[in-house]
Parts: sequence; C-alpha cells; structure tokens
Amino acid sequence: MGEAKLNRDDLTAEPSQSLDEVLKGLQDRAKELFCLYQVGEVLRARDMALDAKLQRILEVLPPGFRHTEICEVRLGFGGHTFETPGFVDTPWALNEPIQLQGEEVGFLQVVYVEERPPEDEGPFLRQERKLLSAVAEQIGLRLSSDIEGSWEVMDKDLQLPGRRRGRKWKVILDFLQRADAQLAQRISRRMLNHLRWKGVAELEGLPGCQRSMVLETAFGDENQPLTLQEEDELPIPTETIFRIAANHCEEEEIIGLIQAWTNRDRLSFLINTLEWGDSSLGDITEALRRFQVLGMREDELPFSVVKVLRAALVRRFFSEEIDYINITKELVTLEDFYDLSRHLVHTPNSHGKLGGKSAGVFLARKIVERMQRDNEVLEGIRFPRTWYVASDGVISFIRHNNLEDVYDRKYMEIDQVRQQYPYVVQVFKSATFPPELLNGLTRALEDLGDRPLIVRSSSLLEDRTGAAFSGKYKSLFLANLGTKTERLSALLDAVAEVYASIFSPDPIEYRKERNLLDFHEEMGIMIQEVVGTRVGKYFLPAFSGVAFSNNEFRWSPRIRREDGLVRMVLGLGTRAVDRVGDDYPVLLAPGQPGLRANTTTDEVLRYSPKMMDLINLETRSFETIPVADFLEECGNELPQVRKIVSVVEEDRITRPGALGLDFSKQDAVVTFEGLLADTPFLAQMSTILNVLRESMGTPVDIEFAADGNALHLLQCRSQSFIEGSAPSPIPRDIPRNRILFTANRYVSDGRVPDVTHVVYVDPEEYSQLGTLEELKEVGRAVSRLNKLLPKREFILMGPGRWGSRGDIRLGVSVTYSDINNTSLLVEIAYRKGSYVPDLSFGTHFFQDLVEAQIHYLPLYPGDDGSILNEAFFRDSANLLPELLPEFAHLSHVVRVVDVPRVAEGQVLRVLLNADLEEAVGLLAEPGPALEVGSAPRARHGRLVAAEPLPEDHWQWRFRMAERLASRLDPERFGVKAMWVFGGTKNGTAGPGSDIDLLVHFAGTEEQRKDLLLWLEGWSISLAEMNYIRTGYRADGLVDARLLSDRDIKNRTGYSVKIASVTDPAHPLPLGTALPSS
Amino acid sequence: MAQTNGGHNAFAMAQAQFDRMAEQMELDAGARALLREAQREYSFSIPVRMDDGSSQVFRGFRVQHNDARGPSKGGIRFHPMETLDTVRALAMWMTWKCAVVDLPLGGGKGGVVCDPHHLSLREQEQICRGWVRQIARNMGPLQDVPAPDVMTSPQHMLWMLDEFEAIHGAKLPGFITGKPVGMGGSLGRKEATGYGVVYTIRETLKELGILTEATRASVQGFGNVAQHAIELYQQLGGTVVCVSSWNQEDQRGYAFRKMDGIDLQELLGITNRFGGIDKAKAEAAGYDVLPGEAWLEQDVDILLPAALENQINAETVGKIPPRVKVIAEGANGPTTPEADAVLHKRGVFVIPDLLANAGGVTCSYFEQVQNNANYYWLRDEVLEKLDLKMTQAFMGVSQVATDQKLYMRDATYLIAVDRVARACRDRGWV
Repeated sequence: MGEAKLNRDDLTAEPSQSLDEVLKGLQDRAKELFCLYQVGEVLRARDMALDAKLQRILEVLPPGFRHTEICEVRLGFGGHTFETPGFVDTPWALNEPIQLQGEEVGFLQVVYVEERPPEDEGPFLRQERKLLSAVAEQIGLRLSSDIEGSWEVMDKDLQLPGRRRGRKWKVILDFLQRADAQLAQRISRRMLNHLRWKGVAELEGLPGCQRSMVLETAFGDENQPLTLQEEDELPIPTETIFRIAANHCEEEEIIGLIQAWTNRDRLSFLINTLEWGDSSLGDITEALRRFQVLGMREDELPFSVVKVLRAALVRRFFSEEIDYINITKELVTLEDFYDLSRHLVHTPNSHGKLGGKSAGVFLARKIVERMQRDNEVLEGIRFPRTWYVASDGVISFIRHNNLEDVYDRKYMEIDQVRQQYPYVVQVFKSATFPPELLNGLTRALEDLGDRPLIVRSSSLLEDRTGAAFSGKYKSLFLANLGTKTERLSALLDAVAEVYASIFSPDPIEYRKERNLLDFHEEMGIMIQEVVGTRVGKYFLPAFSGVAFSNNEFRWSPRIRREDGLVRMVLGLGTRAVDRVGDDYPVLLAPGQPGLRANTTTDEVLRYSPKMMDLINLETRSFETIPVADFLEECGNELPQVRKIVSVVEEDRITRPGALGLDFSKQDAVVTFEGLLADTPFLAQMSTILNVLRESMGTPVDIEFAADGNALHLLQCRSQSFIEGSAPSPIPRDIPRNRILFTANRYVSDGRVPDVTHVVYVDPEEYSQLGTLEELKEVGRAVSRLNKLLPKREFILMGPGRWGSRGDIRLGVSVTYSDINNTSLLVEIAYRKGSYVPDLSFGTHFFQDLVEAQIHYLPLYPGDDGSILNEAFFRDSANLLPELLPEFAHLSHVVRVVDVPRVAEGQVLRVLLNADLEEAVGLLAEPGPALEVGSAPRARHGRLVAAEPLPEDHWQWRFRMAERLASRLDPERFGVKAMWVFGGTKNGTAGPGSDIDLLVHFAGTEEQRKDLLLWLEGWSISLAEMNYIRTGYRADGLVDARLLSDRDIKNRTGYSVKIASVTDPAHPLPLGTALPSS
Repeated sequence: MAQTNGGHNAFAMAQAQFDRMAEQMELDAGARALLREAQREYSFSIPVRMDDGSSQVFRGFRVQHNDARGPSKGGIRFHPMETLDTVRALAMWMTWKCAVVDLPLGGGKGGVVCDPHHLSLREQEQICRGWVRQIARNMGPLQDVPAPDVMTSPQHMLWMLDEFEAIHGAKLPGFITGKPVGMGGSLGRKEATGYGVVYTIRETLKELGILTEATRASVQGFGNVAQHAIELYQQLGGTVVCVSSWNQEDQRGYAFRKMDGIDLQELLGITNRFGGIDKAKAEAAGYDVLPGEAWLEQDVDILLPAALENQINAETVGKIPPRVKVIAEGANGPTTPEADAVLHKRGVFVIPDLLANAGGVTCSYFEQVQNNANYYWLRDEVLEKLDLKMTQAFMGVSQVATDQKLYMRDATYLIAVDRVARACRDRGWV
C-alpha cells in the first residue's frame, strides 16, 4: 500500500538516531500501520451498519498513537457525532476534515487528555498527523462506496413482506440525499435529461421542460452556435423527477441508471486527470491509486467510460500511435495500470512515456495473457519482473547536471560526434541523479532483490520506427551483487550509460539519414530481471533467442515465409539477437519443424553455437566463453541440459543416453534436439507468433528466454522490414525491351533502385573453364571488382551456388568479404539435363547476405515465362580489361557492364515482391525511385523509416550547375574547364546535398580570389533557394574544388574523377550565357 | 577425381581410364566389354509421403559394377545432382579398390536424387526405407552390401538395416556397414584409413632400404586420416616436421613446422574438431607458421597429402625438394596427371590412393565378416588384421611394379583389373 511507503521513507531519512530511538520509532510505525489496517478492515466490512462502523473506528484509532492511554477520539459525520467515553476538549488536539467528493462532510479529532512533551506538532508526531489524515481520507472514500454498498442492504429490505413493490429507488434516493446532496442533484439532472431524451410527455408543461423543442431547433442549423442552456438550478424538484421516472421506467432501469451515474460521478477525477494535458505521470499514478482505493471494478463502469479511460491511460503511459492505442485499449484493463504504476520511476512533474520497447512488451503480455485462458500451449509463458523509468528521466538528468550542451551534438559532423562520444559517456557516468530518480531506482532495486538485471533502452524513436532502431541504443547486464550501495551505484552507472547512448554516433548517423534528427528523442528505461538460474559461478538462462513471424532466411524452398524463424542459443540471448559472424545460432522454422538448416553430421558440428554469453557472478561481469568449457565446468548443473545438447559418437550425433553425461569425456554439441522432440517449445513459439501477428495485425519479432521452468517473453515489436525491403509494386506494362531479367520463384521483398554496373559471370563460359586455377581466378576478379565499383550500386550475376564450400564448378568461389559491396546477388540456375543446380539455400554464405542486407535472387531461365536477356550482358561493352588489365584474359567469362553507358543513361532497377513471387530487373530513368506512386508506408500507416525519396533534387542541382557554368567567364577567372560529379550527376542527390564541382583553374592568385568570391556568392544564393524549396538550411550549396594544370596532368586528387571509368564527372560548358564580346 | 559433378561425364572418364589400362595389358575383348560397363543397374522410384501430407517421388539407383570376386560393396549417396553416370563411375572405382586389397568383394554404388537439406529426418527415414523396399531382393550380405557415403550417416544405415531385416524376417547385420559400434559396427574404423597409409609407407621404406627412424615427413591436412597416420608413423620412430591445416576464419591454409618434430598430443590440444589448428596457440608453442602451400616444400623424405584433390599439380610439383623419396596418397586424387608424370620421371616412389587409403574399405569388410560370424573382435585384433591385409596388398602391387618395371600407380590399376578379369574368366563369363 502507498501508506507503507511513507513510513519506509521516514525510516531511511533519520539515520543518526540511537538504537533505542530507532526501535521505538519502529514500534510506533508498526502501531500506526496496524491501526491503519484495522481502519481499512472496519470500513470494508460488508455486514456492518454505518453507525457501527464509525463507532468501531473510535476504538481502533487510539492504539495507533504513541500515548494510547491518554488518547481520545471524536468523529463527526452527517450531523451525528461519535466520541470515545473519556473525550474532553483539550489544547492537545489534532483535527482532520473528512471529505466526500472534495466536499467537507465531517471531521476527525484526536486529543491527549494530559500534557506530554512537545513533538512535531504539539505532543503529536509528524507520522501521527499523517496517520490521521490517511484514516480520514479512507473514511471519506469508503463512505461513497458505502452508498453503492447500500444497494445490497436495501435489496434485502425490499424483500420484506408488506413493502410495496416499486419503491426501491425511493430508498436509494433518500440515502443519496442524506449522504451527498450534490450528487443527488447531479443524478436528478441526468435523470431529467434521460426522460427528455425518452420523450416523456408528462414533462411537457413543467417549468424548464419545453427546452426539448428549443434543443431540436437549435440543432437544425449546424452553423449557428447553440444557445447556452442554464442548468444551475434544477427546474423541478428531485422527488417529482423520480416520480415521473417511476411511471415511465422499470424499477431496474432506474436503479441501474442511478448506479451507473454514481460510479461515473466518482470517476470524474480520474477522467479529468487523464484528459488534462498538464497532469503529470505523478498525478495520474495518484489518481489511479485513488481509483483503486475506491475499490471500483472496471466491469461496473459503462462501456464508453471504460474505453475512454483505457485509451487515455495507454496514450499517457505508452504511445500516441493511433494503431497501438486502438489495439491495446481492447486488451488492457484499468487494473493492469495499478501494477504498472507501482513499478514506475519518474520525476514528480514527469510528462514522459515508457518508450517503444516497454510498449511492445506490455501489449504482447496482454495479448498472451488473454489467450492463455483458452490456449493450453501458452499456459507456461511468463514475463520477467520489470521496472520502468519514464522517458523524460533523461531530460531531468541532463538538467540536474547542467549538461545541456549535449543536445546540439546530434547536429555536428558525424566524425565529431564519434570523437566526442567517449567523453559524453564519462561525463554521464560521473553525473549525479536527481533525488526523485535516485529514490525511485533505490525502490526498484529493493523490489527486484539481488537477481541479475538487464537495463534496456526504451526510447520514443524505438516506438516510432519499430525495430529499425533496435540495437542502436545500449542494453546492459548487471550482476547486481554486493552491498546495497554497490548494487545501486552499478545500476545508476548502467542507466547513465544507456542515457548517454542517445548521443552515440550510430543512432545519430541513422537519424540523420532518415531525417529524424529533429525528432524530440527521449529515453525510457526498462529494468528487467534477467531470466535464468545460477549454474556454477555463472548466471544464465538455459536457452534464449529471438523469433520472427516472417522467415526471411529460408534455407529450403519448402519453407514458406510465414513459417517463421527462431534463432536460439545456449545462455543469454545476445548472441541470437546480434549477428556474431564467427558463430552460429541454431535456426528453426516453427512452421516446418522437420526441416533443419543443418543436416549432415559435419554441418551440425560446424554450424552449432560454439560460444555463449553469460553473467559471471564471481567477476560480476558479462562474459563470453566457449560452450565446451562451460559444459565441462558445470554442464550437468544446467537445467534441461539433456534436452539442450546432443552427444557426438563416432560420426553420429545422438540424444544423450540414460547414463550420466560426462562432459570431460563426451563430446557434446548444442542442438536443442530434446527440447524440440519432447517439449511443446516449438508449438509455443509458433502459437505465440501467430497470436501476436493476428492481434497486432503485423508480423512480429520477439525475444525469449527460459530458466528451465518456464519460457519467458522479454520483448516484442513489429518485425521491421529490412531497410529498402518493403514489397515493391511490379508494374505490368513494361516494354519487353526494357526487361533484363525476371524471376518467379523464391523471391524476397525489396527494391534495388539505381544499379549502374552489372558484373555478369557467363554461365556457359564459366562451365567451360578447364582448370581449378582459372575457376578460382574468376573469384579473385570478382573480389577486386567488389572494391572498385561504386558501393551498393552494382550487382553480381552468375551461375549456380556462389561461395560454395563444395565443388567450385557449382558456383563462383568467393567468400562474403569478396562480395560485401554488392547490392544484389543473382544466382542463375540453368537446367542441365533434367537437373537444376542447387542455389544458395541453406548455405551460411546466404545467411551472411541476409544479415548484411544484400538482396538475393535466384533466376531459373528454363522456367516458363521467365526472361533473361543474355545478349544484353554478353554483347555490351565489357569494362573488365579497362578496370583490371591483369584479368583481361577472363574477359570472355567475367563481363562488367556500365549500364548508363550502354543504355543511353538509363540504370538497372530491380523490383522484388515476395507476395506476388515476382521480380523484375528493368532499364529505367535514374531518379525517382518508385515506379508506381506508393509512399513507403507499412500497414496501419505506421511510419516506416524508408530511404528518403530523391524526388527531383538532383535535377534542380544539375540545372543550377549548368546555369552557373554558363554564367562563368573563363577569361576573367582563368578557368579552363568545369565538371559536375557526385550525387548531382548520379541522380542521387537529396534535399540537403551539396553540388560538387571540379574547376580546372590556371589563373593568377588575384583571379583565384575573385573566382572563389564569385562561387561563394552563387553558393549562398543557391543555399537560400534550396532552403525555400526544401527547408534544409546550409551555409552554402556549392562545393567547388580547384584543380591545377599539374593535378590534371598527373591525375592527382579529384582529377581522377574526370576520366574515371566507374563514375566520371560530367563536363559543363562554360560561359555560354554571357553576351558575346 | 571421379567425384566431381560438373559438366564433364565422370563415367566417360572412368571408361577412358579403363580402356587405356586394358590396352596396356592387352585385355581380351570379352573382358573389356564386360568390365567397361556395369553388370547390373537398378533405377527405381521411391514414393514418399511428406510431412505436409503431399506425396513426392524420388529417383533411386543401385549399380553393381562387378561381383565376380564377391558381393558388391559401395556406398549410398544422397545428392541433389546425382546421376546414373556418376554412380556408374563410382561403382567401377569400388571394384578396383576392393580388388587391389584382395578383398573378396565386388564393386557397387547407389544413390538417391535428393537434398537432405530440404527434408526432415522423418522424410529421410522414409526415403531410406523406400530405397530398401525397392531393391531388397537384389541386395543382402551375400549379394550387395551398402555403406554410408555423401550426405548419408550411420543413422541412415540403421533405418535401412531395420527395413531390410523386417522384409527378410531375420537379423542380418551384415547387410550394411558403417553401423555404430554396439549396433554391429566394428572397432578400429576411426584409425583404419590413417593406419593403413602408414602400413604401406612402412613397407615402402623397407623396400627402399631406409630406416623409418631416420625419416622425416610432412603432412597436408590434420583431419582424422592425417592424425592417425601421424600417430602410427611416430610410433614407428619417424619424425613429422610439418603439418598443414585449413583455417576457417582466414579462409586459407597454414603449415605448422617444428624442425625437431611436431608433438601430436600438443597439436591435438589446440585443434578444433574439424582439424583446424589454432594459429596463435601454435605460434606460442614454438611452431613456425607458414603459408599452407609450404607443406610440400619441406626438406623431408616423405610427403603425405591427406586433405584435398589436385594439391600436387603442374605448378607445385616443382617446389618439392629433391630429398623427397616417397609420396603416400592419403587423400583421393591429390596428384594431377601432369604432376604425376614429373614425379615418375624424378623417380619419386608414389603410393597411389587406390592402395594407400584402402584401409577404410578393408575395415568395412571386417565389419561385415564380424557381422556374418556374429562374433566381434577387439580393436587390436582388427588393426592387426588390417596390417596384414594392407601389407599383403602392398607387396602384391610392389611385386608387379618391380617385375614389370611399372610405375606404382599403373601397377596398382593393373593388378586390380587383372584380378577382376581373371575371376570373370575363371567363372567362365568371358
């Protein structure tokens, strides 16, 4: 209870007392608490008359005071006064009013009949004042609920023989009028309105009741403001209204209405608090607590009121996202928020929210809990204990420490941000916390005990953009061991570090790219207990991982996208969440449990988790250790270990037998085979994914962990599309001659907008290569091209399975780093006899592609209706000899096509759509990226951080560059030539891009100054024009680089751009607009 | 060698090789016609009910190339690009292999066109059982004995055995080899190939009049074969100065050298289960870490390629120092024909793969013998018999090579074909 909290605060606030004093104090607090509980009990008693209750309170109150023996009490209420037998008026008194709906309806008075030494308030303690006011408040609150309670009593009364049926409402009304006359008035008014609405004829002619007609005419003209209807005074006495009502309504209806109105009346404070924008989280929490103390239940409230309350609560605590509110308000109850508000840390005036992660997991929890009722499989699912810090905590933290100068950091150049970030972290970690946050975090720590914790970021942007932001902010593990002070300081350290991560370069760079820098970012914090158990000197979950509704890594064509994907590991889930590179989480498709990513013994051994993350309780740190070492050290203590590992016997992998597992002798490998065969784990996963997908209306991405007893859900968010990987609309009317290839099998979603270069390994020629050395050389050539061609603007096309570890003839021999700059890998599967070669499905090379966001597309040229324009790739000019003279002899096999050069300035655009199972590569004009006008918005209008639309920024810049050049007098400034390059030339310039110019300058120093001045004038003017066009501010827009004769001759500096093979600068004619002299 | 699945036809190549040999040994036309084709070929459909309820039909093969000397022996491959021609070529290869070691077995091979990556274990079990049902009458301990091969494991063998026994109503563990120990498998299988290589090296050195204790060796690869070969060679007193192994992270091989001899146990302690040696730890333990190719440039008497195909080729053969006297082919096809010609000319004694790595198939034969007798030998008994078998095989080949002044590779092939041809003749087939 909230009262208990007050006392604990007091205890901690007086540290320098003697032991006796402390003990005495403790006894007093216990007495007070006991007293308060007794009062509560009395008030809640169901079969006790009001008078008896009040009388009893007089008895239980004195023991709550220090000098019980001389304590007397008097209580006044509703015109009656009750007092203890020995009550006399003395100077040593405490008074407290009793309020009902904010109105004074009585008082409570405690006196000491003898003098005692002075304390905080006369002879009374500060705590005793608090006790008295708490009791008075309770009486006030309880009495209003007694009004409600009296229905039952009266029901009984009315069943007595001799009472006339149909007078029940009368009893209620009488009671109401006695207890709260104003409430009775408000209810009467509502009843009058109700009767008017029903069109009761009897009302006609009564004073004030003709208004119903006025009302109708007033509504007739919608542009006319309504006339004010004065309703201060009831036109008709309450009695009359209800008498009329009794004639027209059923008894039950009247009682039902009175009951509903009374409830709503009592709720007004809550609604007001929630809807009033100025009310802080503290106000809301307080209002919720009051609502709870009132003992009201949600199902007693009218439907509409419930909706209003829920929606408002969801909005204030979690998110303004309309979809989120829509879904969540159907699932939460007001009671859910009691619990939430008890685990919330915030500053008194906080207007923060809980942030994206918290919102996701809260909603998931509600969905799962609801489904648990009728879905056995979900029964075991749990959620870890969590505390929340409101998002504006970080703001008050910054203000408290005068760190305001961090705010402008996000607008700095990214290398500056990067340089200064370590400093920011240090400053944050050595800063102090505002007292309210400190208190809150202390409370959280007390509640969570000494279990290891994870401090997760839960920022507002994470909410806006979904998982796209995940992993960019910090999440930190804490062993949470040691003295209370040590634990608290570790927690504060972690929170500060998470706060600092707002200003770390990665998220800032990301926000810059997405135009999200101006978003007011705040950082909520989730403090979760780590799911797991102690094993040896470690703490870890038996297993954990992530699961996705949509499987974007299908290792077999038999797996459908909606079969889902689970990535799981032994120990903490960090290795499943992040891409670790040198290690492999176990992959499963819940919809196709039989199809494993690894099949042969060798594969299972090779691609199983080798390392694991855990918390070392001895060093109190997060550690990564080899799985084998862990198993040998304490594997047998790990819960469910027999379900997690398999043993390697000769060349076979089997479930451990009945005999003891000896990890020092037996070779074990993490497979989760037992878990999959003997437990409902996969069924749980697939049910959770389905239930969440259906309820949230979007594919989801969850994190889970199991401690050996139960499966816990840790996180849930909508599964974000890989950047640029929303399904792309496929236009139907593309002329055949613009299509370079099409595909209709195993297509994923995405779009590769502006491909300037294609590296095409001719399948026919490749298969004709004689020696292994030649085959390997092809791989080396590709690797070199990968570094040479414009990053992510070229694609690779070639036969069979690239990066295969097996037979090199199956596909080009490359590793991931040899192709990591491509934007798309196209594997061509030519039929050979009746066999179609196997493509990259299932290879871990493919996994690398997926995780690096490189698109993958298999082509089956033998299929009906599929197109591959081989002639285009084979017959177009081949840049290879020019680019890599040392590989010129491979020109017949490896072909590098400069698309704009051979296709009259057009680029290759690849559109992929998994829903249609269609993809097309077509020649298109560079620039506007979307073929069919559809903004990159996902379902439900949730903002997807999509790539900024180039629109026509580059065209305008190009035009301006031409204009500038045409106005430049070459004689006057000593300029020989001028070029434009970069985004302006390539059609990729954005609204904030510069215009990059190269100027061949061969004049005097004087001319140089003049030229720079002249260019600066243009630059500033263009920047102003650009600002007007786009809203992007810049000091200048022209970035001109002067090249000397020597530069040009030696091809040094930027002059390489002039005749560059891959991305040549475009020459601009000079002085054409000048008046000819 | 014959294992590639690219554009070239593996069977055509195997036939060409056979034709060359037949020409050289002046084999009669009847035997030539019989041996250049398989004796029996089965091709059949295996319908399988898939996990999702649908039906899928898989193509299965079994080729019995020749069983004049005894029941056919050869693995079962699961491969998506399996073709009858590949299976034919491999079956012929098995005939020669069994004949070289003088095992009373013929050659066979089988397969299913499927990719286990896209099949659940239950579906794979159904394929195994379906395969056996189609051909149960034409196989068995007395006719044709399969074994694990590409993408098939002891588990697959057990499913097949179970189905076979159900059909025949008897316990017949000799139907299939490669079973786990305790389920009819033989002890000593892990060591068999590596030890077998060293038995042939030992005999070679004897013949060349070199004391094993005085020899130094360099080994390519550090997998199962190499590890056991090094173990036995060191027991015999030889010194291994260099070993190369593949490094997964760096995507390249390294050679680890210690001039006074590598310590096998020490290296095993820093090696992962795929034979990858930890570079940093090896360096710390005092090994010179050299580029992977350096293994064949070492000043040693014996080279033991035990990893990949085509490692000794036209380009690398020149780097082999003059001291090298013996090359024992632990791997399949480590030497290209061009390099082979150079080695032949230089007078290097090459123990060809067909002979050097026949320890594996010999142990499979022992497994079957134990199954049929339903009596199981100790590990040492197995290895003792293996020694005997390999030594005899070596002496047989070496005798022919000396007598007919043949290169060892040719002698090996010749003796194999000759034994099979003679069996066919004796039976009155040709």
